[in-house]
Amino acid sequence: MTENNQHSPVLALEGLTRVHGTGAAEVHALRGIDMSVLPGELVAVMGPSGSGKSTLLTLAGGLDTPTSGRVLVEGIDIAAIGRKGAAALRRRSIGYVFQDYNLIPALTAAENIALPLELDGTSARKARRHCLAALEELGLTELADRFPDEMSGGQQQRVAIARALVGGRRLVLADEPTGALDSETGETVLALLRARCDAGAAGVLVTHEPRFAAWADRVVFLRDGSMVDQTVRSRAETLLSGGAAR
Amino acid sequence: MTGLLHSWRAAIRIARRDAWRSKGRSLLVLLMIALPIVGVSAADITIRSGQISEAQKLERRLGAADARYESADTGGAPIMQEPKGDYGFSVAERYEEDPRVLSGKHSNVIKALPKGAKWITEGSGRALARTRHGLLDISVRELDAGHPLAAGIFTLLRGDLPARPNEVAATEAFLKSSGLHVGSHTTLRGMGGALLTIVGAVEAPDELEREELLARPGAVLPVLDRAAAKHGESTATTNYLVSVGGRVTWDMAKEANAKGVMVMSKDVVLNPPADQDVPLYTQGDYQRSGDLGTDQTMVVMAATVVGMAMLEICLLAGPAFAVGARRSRRQLGLVGANGGDRRHIRAIVLSGGLVIGTAAAVIGVALGFGLTLALRPILEDYVGARFGAIQLRPLELTGIAAVGLVTGVLAAIVPAFVASRQSVLESLTGRRGVRHSSRVLPLVGLGAVLLGVGIALVGSLSYDNVLGVAAGSGIAELGIVALTPALVGLFGRLGRWMPLSPRLALRDAVRNRGRTAPAVAAVLAAVAGTVGVATYAASADQQHRQEYRRSLPEHRAALSVDADEKGQLGQIRATVAKTLPVAERADVDRIWVGGKDCGPYSGSNGCGSIELVVPERNTCPLEKEDTGAHFTAAQRRGLRKDWRCEQHYENGWGAYMMRSGSDTLVGGPQVLAALGIHDPSAERALRRGETVVFDRKYVKDGRITLKVIDRVVESDQEQKGRPVPVKAHLAQHNAYGLVALMPRTAAAEADFKTAPFGSYYTLSHGVSTEQRQELKGALAKLNVRADPYIERGYQADSSLVLMALSVFAGLVTIGAAGIATGLSQADAEADLNTLAAIGAAPRVRRTLSGFQCGVVAAMGVALGAAAGVVPAIGLRKAQERQAVAQYEEAVRLGRSIGTTSVHMPIVVPWTTLLELLVAVPLGAALLAALFTRSRTAPARRAAQ
Repeated sequence: MTENNQHSPVLALEGLTRVHGTGAAEVHALRGIDMSVLPGELVAVMGPSGSGKSTLLTLAGGLDTPTSGRVLVEGIDIAAIGRKGAAALRRRSIGYVFQDYNLIPALTAAENIALPLELDGTSARKARRHCLAALEELGLTELADRFPDEMSGGQQQRVAIARALVGGRRLVLADEPTGALDSETGETVLALLRARCDAGAAGVLVTHEPRFAAWADRVVFLRDGSMVDQTVRSRAETLLSGGAAR
Repeated sequence: MTGLLHSWRAAIRIARRDAWRSKGRSLLVLLMIALPIVGVSAADITIRSGQISEAQKLERRLGAADARYESADTGGAPIMQEPKGDYGFSVAERYEEDPRVLSGKHSNVIKALPKGAKWITEGSGRALARTRHGLLDISVRELDAGHPLAAGIFTLLRGDLPARPNEVAATEAFLKSSGLHVGSHTTLRGMGGALLTIVGAVEAPDELEREELLARPGAVLPVLDRAAAKHGESTATTNYLVSVGGRVTWDMAKEANAKGVMVMSKDVVLNPPADQDVPLYTQGDYQRSGDLGTDQTMVVMAATVVGMAMLEICLLAGPAFAVGARRSRRQLGLVGANGGDRRHIRAIVLSGGLVIGTAAAVIGVALGFGLTLALRPILEDYVGARFGAIQLRPLELTGIAAVGLVTGVLAAIVPAFVASRQSVLESLTGRRGVRHSSRVLPLVGLGAVLLGVGIALVGSLSYDNVLGVAAGSGIAELGIVALTPALVGLFGRLGRWMPLSPRLALRDAVRNRGRTAPAVAAVLAAVAGTVGVATYAASADQQHRQEYRRSLPEHRAALSVDADEKGQLGQIRATVAKTLPVAERADVDRIWVGGKDCGPYSGSNGCGSIELVVPERNTCPLEKEDTGAHFTAAQRRGLRKDWRCEQHYENGWGAYMMRSGSDTLVGGPQVLAALGIHDPSAERALRRGETVVFDRKYVKDGRITLKVIDRVVESDQEQKGRPVPVKAHLAQHNAYGLVALMPRTAAAEADFKTAPFGSYYTLSHGVSTEQRQELKGALAKLNVRADPYIERGYQADSSLVLMALSVFAGLVTIGAAGIATGLSQADAEADLNTLAAIGAAPRVRRTLSGFQCGVVAAMGVALGAAAGVVPAIGLRKAQERQAVAQYEEAVRLGRSIGTTSVHMPIVVPWTTLLELLVAVPLGAALLAALFTRSRTAPARRAAQ
C-alpha cells in the first residue's frame, strides 16, 4: 500500500442529499452529508429509525442515486459511471453485509465468496483459489463447502464479510450486521470486521447498539437526515477494547 | 468472451441448485415442457422405424426374386407403366380402341418372361371362408412359400406351410377374426364343401391386418375362379416371381410392357430410370401426381401446430418462472448488491429455463424412446406392419430435444427481463415499486392483430386461401396475446361495481399486469384453440347433418338378397322378425330377364336386364349426345333448374341396396306405407294394376316404357332391347331411390318373370347397436351375404373430439389460473396480513384467492372465446368460397349435373362456449378457494 493510498479516502461523500417523493409527499432522507472514510478506518453510523442510516449506505454503494451531492469510491464518482459501471464497482471495490439473509441459498460458502469474482469473469477455479485463501485467512476453511442453511447465523455473517472483501475489495458497507445475532456472536463478527479494517480496508457500520459502535474509530450520529455529532475515539482505546474482545 | 462464459457458469449453477431446491415447481414446468417432447419423439421413432427401406419393402413383396411379372389384362396389347410397376400402371387413351384391351383378357405372361428365367407363380384372389361365426370375406394367396424365391414374403409363426392341396396356412389376423386355430378345418364358398386343414400360422410382415389363407399353387383359386365365372365375377390374378440370376433392367421391363405385361423389378425400383426414358411420362397424357403442394401444406400446418404448442407452453411455464424469480427476489437483489448487473440477473433467470428445458428435453426424448420400445408390439399392430429395426435418427431427435430446450429458455425470457428491470434496492427491501407496463407491447400487439386479421380477410374473401386464413389467425392471436396487458387494464374498470373480494382480486390482477397477463394469455390461447376447433367442428357437423340423405324414413329397415340366396329369403325374414322390433313388413319382388340364376346385377353370361326409358322429349338437353356440349355457361345454369335435368339426390344413396338393377320393384300398397308415403290415389292406382312412378321424367301420356334387354352384350354402345309400355300413375314423392313400383298383376300382364327380392320393414322403435350386431350374427349363421340396412338418421361423430378439447382447455385454464393465483398470493401475503389485522374474517382470504383465480380464468376465457370464433368463421368462409368456385367451374364445364349448390353453415357451439365461459372460471375459483389456507402464515422478519 502506498503512502498516497494510505491518506486518500476510500469513500468520500460530498454534500449528499436524497429526497424521496415530491410535493406534499416529499421526504428528506439525507440533507447535505459530508463524510470520508480512510483506509484502515471503521466508521459507525448511529441514529434513530428513519434518520437516514440505511439510505446513506445504499447511496454509498451505488444502489441508489443521490438527489444532489457526490459519492466517490476510490476517487471515482459513482453517478458519472452509470448503472453498469456502479455494478462493476460493486464487483471490484465495494462489499455489502446486511442484517441477515446475506448469502445465496443455492451456493456453498466458497461459491458465495467467489460470486463477485465469477460475475466479473474470473474462471471458477481461480475464483475458488482466491476465496479459499480468504477463508483460510479468516479461519473459516471448514465452512467452504457448506450451504447457507447448514451454517449458523454468525458463520453466515462471517462468510458475508469474507465475500465483502474478496479480490482486493477495500470498502465494506455493513447494515446492522449483528441485528439478527445474539450478543456474543455479534462480538465475534465485529471483531472480524475490525480486523479486516486493521488490515487496510475501509468500513462503514450502521448500528443502533452503542456496544457495537465502540468497535469503530469514529461514530457519526444522524437525525432527520443530518449529521448532528461526530465522536472520534482514540486509536489506543479502540485497539484495547478490540484486543479485549479477542 | 471468456468472462461472459464464466459469469454464465455461475448463473447456471445458481439456477440448477434453485431448481433442485424447489422441486415441486420445477417438476411441474419440466412436465409441461417434456410431455410434448415425449409424444413427438415417440412419434418420430415410431414413424422412422415403421418406414422400412425400399429394399426391405421389395423383399417383403418379391421375396428373393428379381422381379414380379403381372398381366395387365390387355389381352397382350402393349402398355406403358411407371418404373415402380406398382399401381401406377396406365394404358394410354388410344389403346381403348384396341379390341384386345376391351376384352380385358389376361396377357400371356410366360411369353413375356426373359429367356432362361426361373419363376414361380403367386396367385391371389378373394373368397368367403367358413368360420366359427359364419362367413368371412378373406383374401387367398397361392404361393409355394417354402421355395427359395419366395423367402421373406411370409414368416411361418407356428405349424407348417401347406404341403398338400387340401392344406392351408392362415394369417394371425384370419385366425383372430375366424375363431379358428392351427389344426381346424374350413371350407371356401364355391369349392363344393371340400375341407381345408389349417396346418400353420403365418404372417406377411407388411400387412399384419390381412385376413388371408395361404394355399399350394393351383389348389384353390382355379376352382373358385370356375365357380365365380358363372356370375362373371372372377377376380383371381396370377403373378410370376422371376429370377434371372442378375438384374431385370428397365429395357427388359419395357419389352414385357410391349406384350401387355407389367413388371416390378427390384433393380428398376431401386435405380429408377430418368423421366425421359419412361414412355408413360413422355408419351402418355399421364400426370405424375405432384405431392409437393401437400407436403408444403403439411410442413406449414406442422410448423403452426408446433409453434402454437410452444407458445402455449411458454405462456404456461412463463408465470412459473416468474413465480420463481419473485420468490428469489431477495437473492437476485443480493447478486445485484455484490456487483451483478442486469445482464447477470437475466442470466440467472434464463438459466432456470435452460436447466429445466435441458432436463425436460433429455427426459422427454428418453421417455419417448422407452415408450416406443415398450409399446412396440401394440404400435406395430396399430400401424399394421412390422418395424424393420428401431431407427434412431440422431439429427431429428436432437432437433426435437432442441425444441424442448428452446421452449424452456423462451418461457423464461419475459420473467428474466422483468426480474432484471427490478431495482436492486427494491429487491433487497422487499418494497414493491409501481410497475409500469410496456407501452410498446400493446402497439406491437395491435399491429399484429390488424395484420393478422387483414391476411385472414384477404385469404378468406379474395383468394379462398385456407392457409392464409390459418396464418392470419395465428398472427392475430399472437397479437392478442401481446395486447393482453392492455386488455386486462380495461377489465379493471368493471371493479368499482363489485363487492369487496372480487374488487380486490380484480384490482390486484390489473395492478400487477406483469404476472396476470401471461396467465390470461395462456388461458386465452388454449380457449381460442378449443373454441376455434369447436366452432369449426360444430359447423361441419351441421353441414353433414344437412347433407345427410336418408336412405329410408327413420326407423325403417330394408333387406334384399342375391339370386343365389333367394331360397333362404324365408329364413332371413324370420331372423329379422326375431331380432328387430318389426311392426310391419312389405315384401318386394324383382323382375329378371334371362336364366334363373341371373341376379339383379348380373348383366353378362346369358343374363338380360331391364331399364326404364326416358322419353326423348323428357331428356335433359345437357345429357343429349349431340347438343350437350354446345351450351354456354349461362344456358347451363338455366337448364340446371329445368325439371328434366333435376337429379333426385335427396333420395339418398343407401337405397341402392333395394334397387333391383332397373329402379323398378314389384309390390303392393304396403310398400308405399313402408316408404312413408301416404297417397290414397297412388294406392288406388296400384290396386287398379297401374305402376306408380315417382319421377315425372319417365312418364309420357300416362305410360312408362321399360326396355327389356334379353341378352346383355359387353360393349360401350347402348344396349338393344324391346320396349314394353306399361300404364303408369305419377306420384311425386320421395321414394328413397325407388323410381317405379309395379303391382304384381301388372308384371304378370306384361309377361315379366319375377323373383322374391327382399322386404321393407317398419320398426316400432329405434334399434340398439346390440340388436344390429345380433342380427348380423344371426344372418352370418345362415351363411348369407344379405346385409340389412337400418335407417338411424344422422349420426354425429365429432362430439367426443369436442368434449376432449373442452376438457383440455379446462385443464389448461385451471392450471394457468392456478399458477397466476399462486403468484399473486406470493405477492399479496403482506396485504392479506394487513386485511387480517384490520379484522377481516379468515374466509376473506379464501374468497379472495378464489376470485383472483376466477378473474384470471374469466378474462382468459372471454378473450379466448372471441379470438377463437373469428378464425373458425374465416376458415369456413374460405372453404365456402373454394367450394363455390369449384361449383361454378363445374357449371362452366358442363359437369353441373350431379353437383349440388354450395351451402356451408356456420354454427357457434353455444353449449361449449357456455361451458367454458361459466363452468371453467367457476371451477378454477372453487379449486383455488378450496386449496387456500384460511389461516395467515406466521409472519417472518425481514427475510422472505
